[in-house]
Amino acid sequence: MNTMEFEELQQIWDSQNKRPLYAIDEQALHNRILSKKRQASHITNTSELLLILMNLGAGSLVLGMNFFSPDRSVFMYLLSAWVYATALYLLVSRIRRINSDYRFNRSMRGDLLYAISVATYQVRLSQLTRWNTLPIGILTLLGTWEGGKPVWMAVAVLIFFALASYAGGWEHRNYEARKRELEILQNKLEGGQTS
Amino acid sequence: MSRVADKEQKQIFERWVDQHKGLIFKIVRAYALTALDHDDLFQEIIIQVWHSIPSFRQESSVSTWIYRISLNTAIKWVRKERKHYPSESLDNVQHILQETGLHVDERLEWLYGEIYKFNEIDRSICLLLLEGFSYKEMANILGITESNVGVKINRIKKQLITKSKIT
Repeated sequence: MNTMEFEELQQIWDSQNKRPLYAIDEQALHNRILSKKRQASHITNTSELLLILMNLGAGSLVLGMNFFSPDRSVFMYLLSAWVYATALYLLVSRIRRINSDYRFNRSMRGDLLYAISVATYQVRLSQLTRWNTLPIGILTLLGTWEGGKPVWMAVAVLIFFALASYAGGWEHRNYEARKRELEILQNKLEGGQTS
Repeated sequence: MSRVADKEQKQIFERWVDQHKGLIFKIVRAYALTALDHDDLFQEIIIQVWHSIPSFRQESSVSTWIYRISLNTAIKWVRKERKHYPSESLDNVQHILQETGLHVDERLEWLYGEIYKFNEIDRSICLLLLEGFSYKEMANILGITESNVGVKINRIKKQLITKSKIT
């Protein structure tokens, strides 16, 4: 092949306009869209709602059990208050996220910036969830100690929170990697920008 | 167009897909390699086109709008490129796109191959360039300045022309 001028490349490109390469199987497309719609679970949305519900449930459980227990613990009350506060914080963050939601700036850069802001939110959320195991773990341990529970129970609590923190770290690193990928893409798009 | 009734949205969708499927095919082909990937990306683009209908405000032509939606979707798709499909899905898959069996110009095959070698951003610029979009339209679609578009286009053109010489 000799050197081609760009106009020749364009002619080659245009040649496919006359004869489409594919035919669409309408029924298969329809089926796939329907199944996709059914599966469409928005990860951020679901994880936020789950976290809020879990915190509310755990706070209520700790509060109820402590309230009806013969030896009430102040640390358990603190723990339920902390967990409720976390649920409230998550709820406020969710409302703020939805209010500042995407306003369809459909340029590629706009789309990327939106994706980066969602990724930043997910990174923050996973970081919060991870570090939240620390105060919750400490308060649970203090409650166990105050209630005069056996040592093995305290050790089990410690192991549980260590595992939760490790899993949280793994999730956090995943979100961070995703955010980094987006930022690399943004650099590729904006690279060489002169103004 | 602020709020579109379901029926109207369906009509617009069918018209858009019918009139502009050719440009979607090109993007699918430039961003995905296997038949399964073609199907997957096509499906993603179609879903995004459907969702975009209520926000189309006729500030640009329909083809520019669909190009914009399709390229954004393709770039996102490349990022999460699903290389691993469950084995049963490969057996039972119902293909959406079926090749028409027409003879494909080998120079066109070569061109697609070269486009595929670009990174996902340059690939989209190259497609817009070949489609004959102006710098202004490209800058608008990409959300970057016209001068930045110019810099990238010069590099892409140079690369393509050099490659055509080597081949």
